[in-house]
Amino acid sequence: MAVVGSFLQVFRREWCRMCSRRIYFLSVVLLPLFLIFFMSTIFGTGQMERIPIAIVDADNTATSRSVARNIAAVPTFDVVTWYADDMAARRALERKEIYGYLSIPPDFEADMLRGAGATLCYYYHYALLAVGGEVMSAFEMGLLPVRMAPIVLDAVALGGDENTMETFLLPMETDSHTLYNPSLNYAAYLSQPIFFIMFQVLVLLVTLYAMGHETKYATGENWLQAANGNILAAVLGKLLPYFLFFSAEALLANYIFFEIVRIPFSGSWFVLQLSSILFVIATQSVAVVLFSLFPAFSLVISVVSMVGSLGATLSGLTFPLSAMSPIVRYVAALFPIRHFTRLVQMIVYYNGYLASCWSILALLLLYPLIALLLLPRLKRLILSHRYDTFG
Amino acid sequence: MIPLDKQRSLWWHVAVREFKAISSDYSILLVLLGGIFAYGFLYNYMYAPNVVHDVPIVVVDHSHSSMSRQYMSWMDATPQVQVEYVVADMAEAKRLMLSAQVFGILYLPENFETLVFEGQQSVFPFYASTEAFLYYEAMAKANLQVMEAMDGVYRQQLIGNLPLSGLAAVATQAPVEVVGYALYNPLEGYGIYLIPSVLMLILFQTLMMLVAMRAGTEKKSPPVVLYTKDTLSSCGMAFQIVVGKSLVYCLLYGIFSLFMFGILPLFFDIPHMASWGELFCLLTPYLLGTSFLGLFLSRWYADPEAPILLIAFFSIGLLFLAGVSYPLELMPWYWQIAHYIVPAASGTLAFVMLNCMDAPLNVVSTELLVLWIQVVVYFILAVDTYRRKLDGRFPPKLYSAVQ
Repeated sequence: MAVVGSFLQVFRREWCRMCSRRIYFLSVVLLPLFLIFFMSTIFGTGQMERIPIAIVDADNTATSRSVARNIAAVPTFDVVTWYADDMAARRALERKEIYGYLSIPPDFEADMLRGAGATLCYYYHYALLAVGGEVMSAFEMGLLPVRMAPIVLDAVALGGDENTMETFLLPMETDSHTLYNPSLNYAAYLSQPIFFIMFQVLVLLVTLYAMGHETKYATGENWLQAANGNILAAVLGKLLPYFLFFSAEALLANYIFFEIVRIPFSGSWFVLQLSSILFVIATQSVAVVLFSLFPAFSLVISVVSMVGSLGATLSGLTFPLSAMSPIVRYVAALFPIRHFTRLVQMIVYYNGYLASCWSILALLLLYPLIALLLLPRLKRLILSHRYDTFG
Repeated sequence: MIPLDKQRSLWWHVAVREFKAISSDYSILLVLLGGIFAYGFLYNYMYAPNVVHDVPIVVVDHSHSSMSRQYMSWMDATPQVQVEYVVADMAEAKRLMLSAQVFGILYLPENFETLVFEGQQSVFPFYASTEAFLYYEAMAKANLQVMEAMDGVYRQQLIGNLPLSGLAAVATQAPVEVVGYALYNPLEGYGIYLIPSVLMLILFQTLMMLVAMRAGTEKKSPPVVLYTKDTLSSCGMAFQIVVGKSLVYCLLYGIFSLFMFGILPLFFDIPHMASWGELFCLLTPYLLGTSFLGLFLSRWYADPEAPILLIAFFSIGLLFLAGVSYPLELMPWYWQIAHYIVPAASGTLAFVMLNCMDAPLNVVSTELLVLWIQVVVYFILAVDTYRRKLDGRFPPKLYSAVQ
């Protein structure tokens, strides 16, 4: 019972500390809410639609105009200008006025009618890779009917049947199923994971900050006294107020992304929310571990602020980890964000349920265990006053 | 206390003091060395593979025909995809996908080959996971290419199926060829796209941290005021403090920029098309604006650690705001406005245009103008911040402890 009493005492002490400084209000309440808003609005509709492109029509025939109309009808595109030559289009691309253009060469119609290797070229902006990829696949899709059109047309003129010709031209056809995110929506792909990637930076740093403040201003002994010398009660009581806010925000974020913004979700809510809470615990534990190992406050906060932003890379969200070097893969496995990202992918993309996700969930529980092992060291360090900056 | 050399003006003292403080503060040196040098190498190393290749897929082969085997081996031969498993049923394939061992399932039905030779269209499904867009794109591309190649091969054998003999001549004519070109990134590398923006953001982020750590530490150290001649007005002093500090920051960062944009490209394949003159024109307002912004914000910094926390938090968001990863045009208007407020956003975009697209300087004139406006506005605000600090108008009473 004494432990519970000291735990509550530390909790009350921490609650007052948290309420007494603006930085906590900012980082514990305002910024997470801002982040939810940011990630749910930044992608607009999430759909790359009406991307400005141009068409260079050097042929100016009925055929070239019909090709151009085909392209203009693709919803991804917004044909903003028509140019007479490639140079003008290239300059517009350089000024980022357009993200790609289609070039119809002179004599396109004539070549096509003669069956003499008519060629269509399209150019897309790949210094901006995400848009470029979208423009490329939209061009491929939009020009697909154009490729076979002349052959089918000729054959029909000779009395052939359109269906027979199409079957002949494409004897095998793939039926592509884009799982979970058929329209390749960016909001569905990135909003929720990036929220947690940025959120973990905050959780890590706020937890470190709350603890580091004690050693910096030599209040560590007072902190331990409030817990009657019990380091477990001291750490738990200290982290609990932040934990409450952070997990509430994590739950709220999931709710907003999947229910309000309506990112498709058909997995288990229970597993998703459970993993989010475990993720907050794991991240806070990492902060405790780091602080127990390197209690020099200003140094550890500098290091962690740098390492935290690596989360985007190490989560393997945008550039798959399996394509990176093995060393990077192993290092990534040390970070809870990597396991959490994988977990969310399993839940969201494959309707993962408890039975299939338990191993990663269990992995997240390892972090608090490691933190527990280091608590005696943390107590020694606090009592040694070695890292007190102002006393 | 450092004896005041009455011959020197205030900004000189501030600059000297700033330089000494930076070179003797471990946490600042850590941020600079770690952030600039370690991260410069680290990001390049991590993204060095640049493209994804050999994405593992599983084939469910119910056809067991020579055509299905050929399709598989051609899929496997593409650089993008590797046929990791061939299994007998869909349930097994799903299990492999759920455990992240494969990212796509190619299903070849029983009648895959027979339909083709019967003169009917043989449709077969390909299921691709979208958990990583790069994997998805690689798989979709490989599958489409193999399909087209196979179609081309078998078309020749199927001419006999055509009803009218006259059609054969038409049907063998070449279709319209469509060729796509990836401009500014012919290797289609992810690192080539991401790294230049990240380098610019690192400059912004670490400079903001440096300014914040100095401003936060200063609250505990002897004030600048003690070194001054009393003849200056507080506004004049503030002016000189801002100039002195920014001078040191920008000179330091000029050197760091040499490393980032001069030395790193020697080790790694990253675009470096901007000339030194262009870089100078861009980095001058970029670094000045960032430094002034940091000094302006220092009016709310109470200690050196809290601002670091906030700056680290925003780093990934700034990458989006720059409009490099997601087009600016598709964002809601308020984020488009935010793009023009932070130097990191316009600066990064301008850098990508100059450095990766080899655009001439006049193309980024809008961005440069925005950056210079930021320089002017943040300079005025920074001077105002320091004027108020000197007047002691800011809580917690800044210099009272020492005076």
